[in-house]
Amino acid sequence: MSTSTVMTIEDLSVSYERKRVLSNIYLRIEGGHVYGILGPNGAGKSTLFKAILGLIEVSAGDIKVNKLPIEAQRKEVVYVPQKTDVDWNFPATVLDVVLMGRYPHKKVFSRLSSADRAKANAAMEELDITALAKRQIGELSGGQQQRVFLARALCQEADIFLLDEPFVGVDITTEEKIVQVLKRLASEGKTLLVVHHDLSTVTTYFDQVVLLNQRMIAYGPTEHTFTEDNIAKTYSGQLPILHQMGVIDGK
Amino acid sequence: MIDFLNILQETWAVRALLASSLVGIMCGILGCFIVLRNMSLVGDALAHAILPGVVVAFLLVGYSTLAFFTGSVLAGLLTAVGITWIQHRVNTKNDAAIGIVFTAMFSLGVIGISYISRNQGVHLDLKDFLFGNVLGVADTDLLLTGLVTLYVILSVVVFYRYLFVSTFQPVVAETMGIPVRLIHYFLMLLLSFAVVASLQTVGVILVVAMLITPAATALLLSDKMEKVIVISAGMGLLSAVVGLLLAIILNTTPGPAIAVTATSFYLMVVLFAPKKGLFAKAVRRRQLKLRIDREDILKALYRSAQKGHAVNAELRDKLDISLLNWQRGIKQLRRHKWLQTDSLKLTNQGVEAARRLVRAHRLWETYLATEVGLDKEQIHLDAERHEHLLPEAILSAVDEKLGYPQLDPHGSPIPRSIGKPAFPLSKIKVGETAILSADQDGAYVSARLWEEKIMAGTQLRVTNRNDSLLELDYEGRTVSLALQLADQINVVPQGTFVAEA
Repeated sequence: MSTSTVMTIEDLSVSYERKRVLSNIYLRIEGGHVYGILGPNGAGKSTLFKAILGLIEVSAGDIKVNKLPIEAQRKEVVYVPQKTDVDWNFPATVLDVVLMGRYPHKKVFSRLSSADRAKANAAMEELDITALAKRQIGELSGGQQQRVFLARALCQEADIFLLDEPFVGVDITTEEKIVQVLKRLASEGKTLLVVHHDLSTVTTYFDQVVLLNQRMIAYGPTEHTFTEDNIAKTYSGQLPILHQMGVIDGK
Repeated sequence: MIDFLNILQETWAVRALLASSLVGIMCGILGCFIVLRNMSLVGDALAHAILPGVVVAFLLVGYSTLAFFTGSVLAGLLTAVGITWIQHRVNTKNDAAIGIVFTAMFSLGVIGISYISRNQGVHLDLKDFLFGNVLGVADTDLLLTGLVTLYVILSVVVFYRYLFVSTFQPVVAETMGIPVRLIHYFLMLLLSFAVVASLQTVGVILVVAMLITPAATALLLSDKMEKVIVISAGMGLLSAVVGLLLAIILNTTPGPAIAVTATSFYLMVVLFAPKKGLFAKAVRRRQLKLRIDREDILKALYRSAQKGHAVNAELRDKLDISLLNWQRGIKQLRRHKWLQTDSLKLTNQGVEAARRLVRAHRLWETYLATEVGLDKEQIHLDAERHEHLLPEAILSAVDEKLGYPQLDPHGSPIPRSIGKPAFPLSKIKVGETAILSADQDGAYVSARLWEEKIMAGTQLRVTNRNDSLLELDYEGRTVSLALQLADQINVVPQGTFVAEA
C-alpha cells in the first residue's frame, strides 16, 4: 500500500459573490485511504470538490495532484457527482454511461476498442449491473443508478476518486457493495474522498476523516480525529439535533 | 395528378426536393443536441440574428451566395458569443439574454435592408428571408447546402463522444479534460451553418421547427442517443419531402407546409409512440387496473370459500367493482384456469395464486409494522396496493429479512408453502447427502445460492440442524441456511427424507 502524498491543498480560499465559502484550507491527502469529508450543510464540502477539480475560480491558494496542477492530472482524478445532478431522462443506456469512463483515455479520432468494452464489462460485473446494460438510466432504482456511476468511475482507472454523497437514496445492499468496492480500491493504493452525511457509519466506512465547516476543523485517522470534541466544533449550532439523534453523548 | 408528376420532372422541383431533404437531415441531426441542451431558443435566436450578416455582406461584396453565407455564419457566431457572454458575466436571466441579443441583431438587419433599398435602389425581399423560397433554389445554393450537410454529419460522427458527454454531463466532461466551452462554440458554428443553409427552404422563422420538432419526436421513440439521432434525421427528411410535395399539390408556401408536416408527425408520435405515447400509457394503466380488479376478485372468492360463505352480489358490492368489470374479471380468471368453468369455485392453481396474494399482503403488512414502524391501522390500504405489485423475489427477500414470521400484525397466519419444491433441502436428514438440483423455483432462491457460491449438480451433506438453521458441508466449507430458505431449495436426495411432520 502506498503512503505517499497524492494531493496537497495549501491556503485555499473560495468565495461566491463576495461570500466566503472556504477559508484558508490546508489539507494533505495520503494515498491508499478512504477519506470521509464531513461537515454540516453549507460547510463547503462540494465547493472543496469543485476547487480540487478546477471547476471554479479560487480566491487564493494552491492545489496540487501528484505534485502537478489538476489540468495535468485530469485522467487520474475521477468525479462521481450527486445523483440529483444527473438528467435521468437523457437517452443513455447503462453501458453508454459506463463506457464514458474510457473517454479520457481516447484520442480525438480513435474509436472505442474491444479492450475498452472489456473494461466496461468488468466494471459492470463487479457492481452486479451487467443484466441492466441495455436499460435507459432513468428506468433504474436509486441504488442501481449509483452503481452505474461507480462502474463508470472504475472504468476510468483513475488514482483518486471524488464521490459526492454516494450513499444518499440507495438501498442497503448497494451501500454495502459501494463500501466493499471503496475498500478494495484503497487496498490497491487508490485514494477515495467521499462527501458523507451519516455520522453513525463514519467509523466503519472511513479510515481517515476531514472535518470541515468553512474552515478546516481537523483531519487525520478516524480513530484520533473523529472525536466528540471535533464533531462538536464542526457541527456547532446543530448540537441539539445531534444529541437527539444520539450521535454524540449529551455530556 | 399528371400535372403533379410533370412538375416533378422540372429541374426547379428536383432542386427544391434535394435542398429540403438535405436541410431535413442536417437539422434533424443537430436538433438532437440542441433540444437535449435546452438550447431550442438559442437556435431560434441564431436564425433571426443572421440578417445583419447578410446585409453587411451585401454592402461589402454585393449579391453573392458565398458572401451571404460567410456573413451569416459570422453574425450567428457573434450572437452565440454575445448570448453566452451575457449569461456568464452579467446578472441577466438566460432566456432574457437570448431575447435581448437576437431582437437587437434582427432589428439591425431590418434597418440595414431598408437602408439598402432606399440608397442603393436594390430590393432584398424580407419575405424570402422570413419564410424561405425553396422553389427558387439555385445550383450554387444546392451545392452549398450539400457541403454543409456533409460537414455536419462528419463532425457529429467524428466528435460524437465529445458531443455526447458534454451534452449529458457538462461538469463531468470538464473533469475528464474535455474542452466543454470549445465544443459549445463548435456546436454554435454548426448551428449557424445549418440555419444559413435552411434559409432558402424554410426561412428564419420556421428553421427552429426543423431543429426542434423532429428531434423531440425522435426522443419519444428511442432511449439510445445514436438511434435518436438517426430517427431524428429520418423524421426531418420525411417532413421535408412530404411537406414540399403537399405544398406543390396544394399550391401553398413550402416552408410552413414542411413545418406543419413535422408537427403532425410529432403529434402522431405523442399519441401512438410504443413506450412513451399517451395511448400506450393509457393501455398500461388500464391493464394494471384490470389485473388489480381480477386479483381482488380472486382473493375475495378465496376468502369466501375459506369462511364457507356463499358467493353473491354482496361480495361484489364489498369489492366496489362495477358489474361489467366483475364479469370481465371472472372471464379472465377462467382464461387463467384459476376458476372452474361452471362455478365460482377456485381451481388448485387459483388457490395457489390467491395464497400468493394473501402472502404478499400479510408479509408487506408485517414489514410496514415491524421495520417501518407504522401503526396497525395504517398498513392495510398500502398492503392492498402492494400485494399486486411486489414481485416474488422481493417478497422472499422481505420474508428472510423479517426472519420468516408466522403471523402478520393482525394475528393472521402468513401462507408459506408456496411453490414448494418436490424435494426440499430441508427434508434431508442430518448426515445424509443430496445433489443440488439445477431446477430452482424463483429468481430469489437462485440468487441466494449464487451468493453462497453453491453450484447446481454438486453434492451437499447436512451436518447439523435446529429449529431455524440447517448446516451444510459443501466442498469442505460449512454453510448455514435458514430452514425456511432450505424449504424452497430443490435437491435430488441421495439418502432418506425426514418424515413429514
